[in-house]
Amino acid sequence: MSRHATTRAARIAAALLGLLAGGAAAAPLEPAPPGLVARDVAERAEDALRSERTYLEAEMTVVSPRLAADRVVAFQNWDDRPGKRSFIRILEPAKDAGSGFLKLHPNLWMFVPRVERTVRIPPSMMLQSWMGSDFTNDDLVKESSALDDYDHRLLGVDPAPEGHEDLRAYVVEYVPHEDAPVVWGRIVTWIETQHSTPLRQEFYDEDGVKLREMTFSRIEEIDGRYYPRSWRMRPLDKEGHETRILVREIRFDAKIDDAVFTKHNLTRTR
Amino acid sequence: MPLELRIAWRNVWRNPRRTGLTVAATVFAVVLVMVAVALGAGTHEKMIEDSVRVNAGHVLVSGRDYLEKRTLEQFVEYDEALAERLADAPGVRGVAPRVVSFGLLSEDQSTRGVAVVGVDPRREGDVTTLPGRVTRGRFLTADGEREILLGTRLASNLQADVGDQVLLYSIAYSLETAYELFTVVGVMKLPEVNMDRTLAVISLRDAQSFFVYGDRVSEVAILAGDSDAVPALARNVREAVAGTPTEVHTWRESMPELEQFIILDDAGMYITLAILVVVVGFGILNTILMAVLERQREFGVVLALGLRPRAIFRIVYLESLMLALVGLAVGLAIALPLILYLQAHPVALTGNMAGAVELFGFEPQVTWKLKPLNPLGSIATILGVAVIAALYPAIKASRGRPVDALRSL
Repeated sequence: MSRHATTRAARIAAALLGLLAGGAAAAPLEPAPPGLVARDVAERAEDALRSERTYLEAEMTVVSPRLAADRVVAFQNWDDRPGKRSFIRILEPAKDAGSGFLKLHPNLWMFVPRVERTVRIPPSMMLQSWMGSDFTNDDLVKESSALDDYDHRLLGVDPAPEGHEDLRAYVVEYVPHEDAPVVWGRIVTWIETQHSTPLRQEFYDEDGVKLREMTFSRIEEIDGRYYPRSWRMRPLDKEGHETRILVREIRFDAKIDDAVFTKHNLTRTR
Repeated sequence: MPLELRIAWRNVWRNPRRTGLTVAATVFAVVLVMVAVALGAGTHEKMIEDSVRVNAGHVLVSGRDYLEKRTLEQFVEYDEALAERLADAPGVRGVAPRVVSFGLLSEDQSTRGVAVVGVDPRREGDVTTLPGRVTRGRFLTADGEREILLGTRLASNLQADVGDQVLLYSIAYSLETAYELFTVVGVMKLPEVNMDRTLAVISLRDAQSFFVYGDRVSEVAILAGDSDAVPALARNVREAVAGTPTEVHTWRESMPELEQFIILDDAGMYITLAILVVVVGFGILNTILMAVLERQREFGVVLALGLRPRAIFRIVYLESLMLALVGLAVGLAIALPLILYLQAHPVALTGNMAGAVELFGFEPQVTWKLKPLNPLGSIATILGVAVIAALYPAIKASRGRPVDALRSL
């Protein structure tokens, strides 16, 4: 009888372990190749998405149970990665056309053309929704650096990442430094092994509860980079909410005038 | 039995000074306990009253999960009919619907994150003291448009004053961006520092159109005529909104920190009072014991004459009960009028003390309140103490042997 009980306990333990593993990835992870440095993988993933100066035009679709029709926001973005500055001009909807966001590290400015006012978004508002989407102002400013503010750890290789079963991905865990300006407890990122395209990101709070999930798809080769044109953000605490970004146009290593990143440009409406 | 009563009564007054001192100790304890309990009740009632009149009301009707989440997603479908129905529920003194959200408020170069509250200018004053807190300018008017009131610290942080135009920016319920210029019509002095720094008040109608919220409101705050009637009122309100997807909470749930403070404060007070009562109990014990030891010979004689030990037990017991009853009667006679007087004449605090109390958002006033449980509890406690304290001397008196007693001459 006692043997019976032990095998049963063992089976339950195995089932529990299986559940835990299943929580992290659909299939069991394979060990990562020896000598591979997690931070290098993370750095290559950053490089896959941004060059030093990048221009893009995108369409953001916000899905919510409270909306009869999805909300669509179109915008242009000029990005200066080493300069930690960024500029966004809203094109659609008509109500917000001409609105601008200027990030000059560590500040974020907003311009509302209808009332002709420039507003600096205070730190207390950083975690609020950006333009009604599931992205926050903080996502926009990216106060933290994915490389310098985190410790990176290779969890293994996922032989069939969810949504991209034909690809293989390194699974990298990002744990923020104590003093880093980060709201997450940890982030787990799936990074494709060949071209370092991020495929998926899971955001956890300090108690280990998964709060949101970002998935990348429609990977295309653009200027030698394998770039995901479609991004999807799902906040897991808000049922039925979802924000998708489709990058309509992207230019890497673009020539961008420094005058773009000025408050003068912010107030210039066309 | 009447004979025993008479003997006990005579014995009590055989040594008037000792009896007087014991009675005085009892009177002191009764008065102190009753005044302290009344002070606790009065202070807590005032705290509750002040707190509910700052914000949440005694009873709060809201959408599901509102207390945890407090976003535009949680709402109550509101119309005048609902307001009337709630106002007509028995025990309701006022009904105030509100839209609660947040936004950016910007004036010239400075911007602050604010809590935006849309209130019905005609109804808000029935529940909270908000209209009376305006120190500069005026409160919202029923037909005013795009008017805004700011907390004092918020106004000074923004360097905005009455007459200025400020930009309010937020995300509407429709997930559109919402922005509008508002005119500052007044500045309010809010008791709580954090509120004073972040609260911006606009009219309910403006809030509903600004947040594209239709006829929805975030919460309906209800004020009860008497805080003791809150549980009954909550039941009535639940009935009035039954069948709609709402939650009804009392102040205990909407302001859990206040309820916890009261429990903690009560615990501290009752521990102090318990120590006092025990001391008085030993006083009674001491008096009776001394009286018994002094009368060993007397008990020996009456026992020798054939009085039963039980009768002696009863006589001694009656003596101590009489002591307690006399003390109680005098104590109540002093405490009740005293408390009623204090209840009618609250003491205003001044100076540093007043400042400290105001910092926590309360009116600097010391108040008393007599609740029926207060005298009843005091009577039960003092009698209980007397009953226990008299046990040992009474047993000792009845156990004496006539021979020993007579020898102890």
